[in-house]
Amino acid sequence: MNNYLNNYNFMENYKINKIGNDQYKMNMSNSPMLYDPYQGFIRGNMFQNLYDAYKIKEPYEIKPMNEQAEMLTYIDSLSFACIDINLYLDVFPNDKNAIELFNQYRNQQNNLIMEYQNKFGPLFLNNDSLNTYPWAWNDRPWPWES
Amino acid sequence: MWLYEKKLEYPINIKKKDLKMAKNLLAQYGGPDGEFAAAMRYLNQRYTMPDEKGFALLNDIGTEEMAHVEMIATMVTQLMKGASIEELERAGLSGQYVQHDHAIFPVDANGVPFTSAYIQTTGDWNADLTEDMAAEQKARVTYEHLMDMTNDPDLLAPLSFLRQREVVHFERFKSLRDYYLEKYKKNSF
Repeated sequence: MNNYLNNYNFMENYKINKIGNDQYKMNMSNSPMLYDPYQGFIRGNMFQNLYDAYKIKEPYEIKPMNEQAEMLTYIDSLSFACIDINLYLDVFPNDKNAIELFNQYRNQQNNLIMEYQNKFGPLFLNNDSLNTYPWAWNDRPWPWES
Repeated sequence: MWLYEKKLEYPINIKKKDLKMAKNLLAQYGGPDGEFAAAMRYLNQRYTMPDEKGFALLNDIGTEEMAHVEMIATMVTQLMKGASIEELERAGLSGQYVQHDHAIFPVDANGVPFTSAYIQTTGDWNADLTEDMAAEQKARVTYEHLMDMTNDPDLLAPLSFLRQREVVHFERFKSLRDYYLEKYKKNSF
């Protein structure tokens, strides 16, 4: 179970909840250097050697204002890390460090998604959070609504 | 098949109506180097890649592009929200209003409708992957032009994210093509 602070200091909570880890720095000697999931997510790029900014000096921070948005930011970060590491693994399927990291982030992500769906409703159609009346899948907001 | 995730790949919450940027952003929706073209290009090319690396990469990048199509449509929808006919007209969107009201339709920034002539499948990995690398570069520069046109952080953040994805995708296609050049001992041209 994760901790959520009342003031929603996102970066502090992120560390307390141990999203991501530091081990990739030590382990990935023959693999490319990766950002931590949140740092990769706000850049749109997990790979330090590929990051190439345009116009903006620093990547924009996500500023979640409540528990739901904060959990979604964790999920988005871990989900993004998995997407980007998977694309790398598609071409370099023998990188053990990257496979290990992928599975670590996937695990964390799955736990958070379960917790999120139980609290805030379904993100996927294959979940217990849909055992509701009335049907919860069509609840707003949909992703394109601001 | 595909399973829908009821969230965006990157959050979009635009507070300021901006019809000129809505029009500009259509470049990356139904334009020649847009996300719709990218998704269709890779998902059609995946069937004739020579091995599992190509199947996987074209499948997975094509799938991610679908999430980018959704992000662009979300930005355009939010930027146009509540716009009056007069405001649309002033922004050069009277044609948009007449044909589509506030709805999303795959056209480019000049209103030219999407056509599959923007994409190609040749059945040749070298030709296809070289096209894909060029497509990522063209999309990257289009995102730079879009970023040049705004100072709204609500827009710059997702545009910067999407631009960065073009950088990464380019690199993955390039690695795959380099691998095939070595594997099949072809010259680089």
